[in-house]
Amino acid sequence: MRVLKNIFSQLHSFVLWALASALLWGWIFTFVTDTSIEKKVTVYCYVPEIRDTELAAKLEEDMPEGLRMIKVHSFEYVMMGMDAMQQGDIFIIPASTVERYKELLNPELGSVRVYDAAAGEGAAQEYITYGDEDYYLFYGVESAHIEDGKAKAVAELLMGL
Amino acid sequence: MPDKTVELYTDGDMEKMKGRVKGWVTALFLLGAAALAVCVTLAALTNTLNAAKMELACVLVSTLAGWLVIYFAVFKVIATGRELRHAEMLRTEERERLEGTVTVTRERFRIRKSVPVRRVEIRATDGEPRKILVCESRAKALEEADPGVLYAVHGYAAAYEVTK
Repeated sequence: MRVLKNIFSQLHSFVLWALASALLWGWIFTFVTDTSIEKKVTVYCYVPEIRDTELAAKLEEDMPEGLRMIKVHSFEYVMMGMDAMQQGDIFIIPASTVERYKELLNPELGSVRVYDAAAGEGAAQEYITYGDEDYYLFYGVESAHIEDGKAKAVAELLMGL
Repeated sequence: MPDKTVELYTDGDMEKMKGRVKGWVTALFLLGAAALAVCVTLAALTNTLNAAKMELACVLVSTLAGWLVIYFAVFKVIATGRELRHAEMLRTEERERLEGTVTVTRERFRIRKSVPVRRVEIRATDGEPRKILVCESRAKALEEADPGVLYAVHGYAAAYEVTK
């Protein structure tokens, strides 16, 4: 009874601490789960559904040397801040949106069809649910991993899934 | 002071309280350090697949450890520290001698940022009854002693004499 009374008398402290703890570790984990652009390849997918964590973990199993992580995000992840996408390395987008996002895409390296809507076949279908049209893989115009070949290596890994 | 004066807080009591505070501070420090070590280990073991779970685990460990630290810091360390300062005041400051029938009442309350207390009535054979306070932790000892004389400091019982 006394313990309960004591707890209620300090309830405000307990609530504040819980909030502070959640905020603190949330902030710390943004650093734990991220790294510099040089050490990661980022893939952005404009698809209906994606198991981004599992796909990233799968790609990391054979990622090129020198990389620490591979990040996979849906386009919804960055809707509030398009700046983050500017430095994306790989983009998987439906054919109908290529014109809309052309500023992000590297025109010189061309594209690869990753999903054939007519055949219903595509890359990494265990992780990506595609829509009703063809999807293409592009390299980012500002990707830091074109010259070192790592973006291409990760793209090939993805195509092989 | 006459030999038969009994202090409500003896030297032994003071040492025990100081030791208790030190012990609790050490224990809470170790608890905090252990929680931090666990969280740092969890963060170091984080990978792409388990990141969300590790973050949740860190939040849970640090929240629970923090709650324990808060609880025991407030209700053991700070509470004992307050009683220690109260006792030091009773042992060092000038005392008032009160003679009469002493009754420790059931009336309990806590003065903000001070020790929990009970009210004590001293009814002299001639004159108005006097009311003072006694620290809750010493109330039972005073009740059982049934003294005829009380010594008070700033309205708090500090010592007594058994005259019966």
